[in-house]
Amino acid sequence: MHNVLIIDDSDINLTLIKALVLKLGDCSPILFDKPISALEWCRSNVPDLVIVDYMMPDMDGLKFIAAFRALHGRNEIPVLMITANDQKDIRYDALLGGANDFLTKPIDRIEFSARARNMLSLRTGQKFLADRAEHLSALVEERTAEIREREKELIFRISRAAEFRDPETGAHIQRMAHYSQIIAQGLDLSPTMQKLVLEAAPMHDVGKIGIPDYILLKPGKLTPEEFEVMKNHSKIGHELLKDSRSEIMQAGAEVAISHHEKFDGSGYPLGLKGNQIPLLGRIVAVADVFDALTSERPYKRAWSLDDACKFLEDGRGKHFDPLCIEAFLAGWEQVLEIRQRFRDEEVPQI
Amino acid sequence: MAKAFVLDRDSILERLGGDEEIYSMMVDMYLQDVDNNCTAIASAFASGDSMTLQREAHTIKGLLATFSDEAGAADAMLVEKQAKNGEIDGLADGVAGLQQRLREVAAVLSAG
Repeated sequence: MHNVLIIDDSDINLTLIKALVLKLGDCSPILFDKPISALEWCRSNVPDLVIVDYMMPDMDGLKFIAAFRALHGRNEIPVLMITANDQKDIRYDALLGGANDFLTKPIDRIEFSARARNMLSLRTGQKFLADRAEHLSALVEERTAEIREREKELIFRISRAAEFRDPETGAHIQRMAHYSQIIAQGLDLSPTMQKLVLEAAPMHDVGKIGIPDYILLKPGKLTPEEFEVMKNHSKIGHELLKDSRSEIMQAGAEVAISHHEKFDGSGYPLGLKGNQIPLLGRIVAVADVFDALTSERPYKRAWSLDDACKFLEDGRGKHFDPLCIEAFLAGWEQVLEIRQRFRDEEVPQI
Repeated sequence: MAKAFVLDRDSILERLGGDEEIYSMMVDMYLQDVDNNCTAIASAFASGDSMTLQREAHTIKGLLATFSDEAGAADAMLVEKQAKNGEIDGLADGVAGLQQRLREVAAVLSAG
């Protein structure tokens, strides 16, 4: 059903146009003898066609069209203006002012029907395109979300592939990623950035894929030479990820190369100091070390939470960014919740 | 003064797509409104309000054209144009003529 708005100060014209609109079929005429009242109606209703007389008291048809077009979302609605035969100048002005077509008085039913139907077809086309655009936009959003989910899963699985080769577990990845997010939250980073931290943190050790088994799986302490080889995992992870077009992968590359840097400059691979270390690396350093300390490994027992916190506190400004430590401890309740949620024994093996 | 109004029912009906129902409705409304239209243009002229006079003459032009009274519509257009130019002093006869014409058309429509 098309809503046809008719504005004319003459009752006889309103009645005539209403009768003609009803003859079109599938139309509901809405009548106003005052343009101001019609405009008020248009603020909360969207007509499919506007038929407006030119000469009316208070507000003429040109002023009405200008005010109507200025309303949000009313720019495309077809407008037919009724003028007298001798009002050629007004018709030019109306065209420039936003009228789509004209009707001349006295109104001829055949001409009226043809013009009104054309305008309504235009409106039907507009609605179809708008619906289609909306549908396509929803589809793109849905597909993008699917791709993003797939990307996240892929990242998790790549990270797991690296972790599989050493004693760390899938739960470690989950916990340290969520701890990283807690720190990002405590640092007042934007929700988008917090999400990026959560998604990129799992890739911190992906470079371990390039470390030989005899070093990676060695149960005892590494020799200085072996440790030098082990340190390469930062660079290997960065190399693997840095050229990706994915924002998450790029963030992962940054995490990989910087999560073993230390705030006082004594870390590796570049020996960066303080804020030279990318923020993502400073965040992940705290989350990764805390989880490593509090997790059991074949070669060590899990540290108590108190001891692990003391280690973090002692490392403020030396190993760790003091602000990241503060943010981590401020989210302590959430940290405990994450530990409960992702326990080693409960993580299904991939 | 325009020549006497002759009702051309066929041409009016042709414009209305042969719809007798709409035609009857239009005639009824014209007859209902004719006194108001006469009063409105007389008041506009008496008050010296050229804009209102222009609008009332415009309305009458449309009404008469609706009933295919081309001569009456032409007289209304003259009054409308003069009022638009602010020349209302010499319009007494024109305004009276339009009132007379409106009533003449009403009488013919009533009879027809």
